[in-house]
Amino acid sequence: MQAEHSERGDLNYLFSVTYEELRRLASTVKRHDGSITLNPTALVNEAWLKLASSPAFTTTSPLHFKRIAARAMRQVLVEAARRRNSDKRGGDQASALITFDEALAPLDCRRELLLLDTALTDLARIEPRQAMLVESRFFGGLEIDEIAELLDVSRATIIRDWRAAKAWLAHELRR
Amino acid sequence: MDSARWSRMQALFHESADLPREQQQSFLRSACGQDQALLSDVLGMLDEDARRSLLDSNVAEVADRVLRDTAPRFQEVGRYRILGMLGEGGMGVVYLAYRDDLGHRVAIKVLRDAWLSAPRRERFASEQRTLAQLNHPSIAQIYDADTLPDGTPWFAMEYVEGVPLSEYCARRNATIEERLRIFRDACEAVRHAHLHAVIHRDLKPSNILVRADGGVRLLDFGIAKQLDNFDTGSDQTRTGLRLMTPAYAAPEQIRGERVGVYTDVYALGVILYELLAKRLPFDLSNKTPGEAEIMITQQEPAKPCGVADLDVLCLTAMHKAPERRYASVEGLIRDVDHYLNGEALEAQPDTLGYRAGKFVRRNRRRVIAAAAVFILIIAVVAFFTARLAIARNAALAEANRTQRIQRFMLNLFEGGDAEAGPAESLRVIDLLDRGVLDAQALKNEPAVQAELYQTLGTIYHKLGKFERADALLQSGLDERRRVFGVDSAESADSLVALGLLRLDQERLPEAERLEREAVAMARRHAPADSPAVEKATVALGHALEERGASIDAIQLLEEPVRSNSSAGITPDAASSLNELASAHFYAGHYKIADAMFRRVLDMHRQLYGNRHPSVGDDLINLGAVQFDLGYFSEAETFQRQALEINLPYYGPNHPQTAHNLIGLGRALVMEKRFDEAVTLLQQALKIQERVYGPVSRQVASAANELASTALGRNQLDEAEAGFSRMLAIYRAVYSNGHYLIGIALSNLASVSMQRKDFAHAEQLYREALQAYAKTLPAEHINVGITNIKLGRALLRQQKYVEAELHSLQGYTILSKQANPSVGWLKNARTDLGEIYDALHQPDKARRFRAELAE
Repeated sequence: MQAEHSERGDLNYLFSVTYEELRRLASTVKRHDGSITLNPTALVNEAWLKLASSPAFTTTSPLHFKRIAARAMRQVLVEAARRRNSDKRGGDQASALITFDEALAPLDCRRELLLLDTALTDLARIEPRQAMLVESRFFGGLEIDEIAELLDVSRATIIRDWRAAKAWLAHELRR
Repeated sequence: MDSARWSRMQALFHESADLPREQQQSFLRSACGQDQALLSDVLGMLDEDARRSLLDSNVAEVADRVLRDTAPRFQEVGRYRILGMLGEGGMGVVYLAYRDDLGHRVAIKVLRDAWLSAPRRERFASEQRTLAQLNHPSIAQIYDADTLPDGTPWFAMEYVEGVPLSEYCARRNATIEERLRIFRDACEAVRHAHLHAVIHRDLKPSNILVRADGGVRLLDFGIAKQLDNFDTGSDQTRTGLRLMTPAYAAPEQIRGERVGVYTDVYALGVILYELLAKRLPFDLSNKTPGEAEIMITQQEPAKPCGVADLDVLCLTAMHKAPERRYASVEGLIRDVDHYLNGEALEAQPDTLGYRAGKFVRRNRRRVIAAAAVFILIIAVVAFFTARLAIARNAALAEANRTQRIQRFMLNLFEGGDAEAGPAESLRVIDLLDRGVLDAQALKNEPAVQAELYQTLGTIYHKLGKFERADALLQSGLDERRRVFGVDSAESADSLVALGLLRLDQERLPEAERLEREAVAMARRHAPADSPAVEKATVALGHALEERGASIDAIQLLEEPVRSNSSAGITPDAASSLNELASAHFYAGHYKIADAMFRRVLDMHRQLYGNRHPSVGDDLINLGAVQFDLGYFSEAETFQRQALEINLPYYGPNHPQTAHNLIGLGRALVMEKRFDEAVTLLQQALKIQERVYGPVSRQVASAANELASTALGRNQLDEAEAGFSRMLAIYRAVYSNGHYLIGIALSNLASVSMQRKDFAHAEQLYREALQAYAKTLPAEHINVGITNIKLGRALLRQQKYVEAELHSLQGYTILSKQANPSVGWLKNARTDLGEIYDALHQPDKARRFRAELAE
């Protein structure tokens, strides 16, 4: 009964799954353990392995999966950064007397990420493919060759465009 | 920065990037000339190129820092002193704390991921105070609740040292009786909460702790509701968007419908199942949400333990249909007690096999814009992922947006084939849920937020989730009123959408009122032939049709259609013409409807190609028209053509397919191909029962067809049963009367006629005519036919004078319409011949007989 539904539709699900996986992961990171590093790329691979065997995904390419996962990743990180950034508001609220141990969690990283998100959105407005390149590469960990295949251009073009985009975005971040 | 500038910047960058430093400066200075900004930008880029930046780091590092829970090194939260961390769960972190003035330990749960906006904080706090009043030995007491300055909520609750229920029973190898007793304790707690109108919604073994002394404590009451509120800002009683392990989730939760006391009953049922069978009723590991939904909503679980009464107890609590479960936890407790006392249960085993949960969805008669749903979904997806980019460009024309959406889709999906089938509703729901979450986040862009609410609301509407749709469309309307003004084009647009929803919610007067308001408002802000006014007009026309005011609808709809005729072939033009055609159809103007539907079909074929679902809809409509004109084999042809499109598109179990099958079945019945017809109709009936529930218009319609077939084969008892069912349903559904009730009565009367119970038939026909009088124009074909039938019933009872009255009336009505060779006209002539013979008026008798011979 489900068979005839397009597997492309399942990519929505995929998006959601990745998104939720990351959120779930976020909540299981144990602070006092300290040593656990989140590796989104590994996570994405894991999710892919889990899903690839389900019949609905047989015609989805890993590449497209990764592409979507990259987007999901960006979404999750940006939202998390946004939320946590609100901690900074208001300074010292004497009544609640909560002290956050900020020394170990540099807020610059969050701020930078949000700036990156904005700049990337701006870039997408004029050069959507280039923005997609950055998104896939940075957030999704796709390799140059994979992106070249995705966008159907040469390796050299990707390397060039990546370099320029990176330079400009970094410049924007520093303003 | 625009595209041209960026190209320039890149070009300069690449040209200079690999030059030695000094040469870079001089090259750029001359290349940029007066443009200082350009120079500084490119130099900046070159700087960054030489350095490391965020983009050179591994996103894992970034993620680590961003996502890592800055678990606060709390000193204190409110008046509580943090002693240490107890653990982490899906919802947040739990700390052990101490309050000096209380003198004992408490647990504090900080809901890290549930971030509240400022207006919601007080609400949250006061709700928690209500929960704090939930006082029962088996419920973990909530002492306090508040929010951190950033809006993160936290609760302080009784610190329970205990083990989750299933683990407790497993460890001690508890007997069935022991398990039941502990389970009963847990039920008592839930019952108490229900008395205070608190539904748990997230009952599972890990929320039920058992202490060393065997005492039971339930945790996290009402928290699920709070989380829902966090995520969407709405106060609706519905499931949150978590893709949680749905093992304990009730079918209605999975489908995102209203939850209630019965939802907790279901969860308790699953918990009991697990206690008895030592495994879960459904193995959901490694299943996609789509598969999980099917399992939970349709698959019957195996019997948990083989003890008949316990099986019944468990499965009753877990019934797919809420109304078939124990009505309250009290009922469940009673039966547990009965069992423990060796008495008989009150619950009955369900011998009729499984029933999927029902949701009442009103089919928009024959026109379902399935294609429109898909396009809307695409719009939402694009919206979601590129939301601000599109939003800021408020002036973006529709065509432009569609192009972007298409590009986006092409990027995402392999092949970019626009003929993809409809999305699975669960996946759509996921996406929609996420869309709702995002809508909330657009607080700074209220116009955009409102639009997103509206789009989402419309999609939910089309998927049949009326409550969610209601909330969203209302929110959209409120936002727009705030942003654009109560009297504005945008508010009118929202009113239109809300009105259309009201139609499907069977709130017809309200729907009409909203649409009228919308039309008036739209006219004030846009020219009469603008799309906005037309859209509102068409919606009002639809409302009028539903009410039965087809003539009014026709008058209303003619104008937009007229003005569209010069606009050429567009989806809007097709849509208004379609609506007008429907109005004519229901008014009984079949020839006109026929011509118009053909035109609509033509337009849709040109717009979308031959296999588009809209074309399928049109073919069904044409089949219906042919049928009512009496051209049954043409009707069959159209319906078959429609089925060729609809069956592959919707699949064999979709209501639209059922609709099609019925149309085809009816035609076959009239062609006396009964066996074929019955097979199709029974298929259709099954689908409708499952999708809409046994008391629904769609089932009535299917039952009607089957009964008609039975009648044709002289299976009178079966026919009577079918028509009676149809009548009962329509009476239940249409409290104010509707012509369909008349049809049901008339059909039922046919059975009496066959049985030669003419007096009874007469009575039913008269009732039918009364029903018609309320809702059909006096010259409607059904009125004519029923008059003829009544005439015949009277004739058979030799009540000639009365018979003449009605037969003649029917004859007159019909002869203005149908092709004179149609069956009923013949019947009328035959009857009138007999009548006039009996009344000793041989001239008249001869006249009618003569017409027969033609």
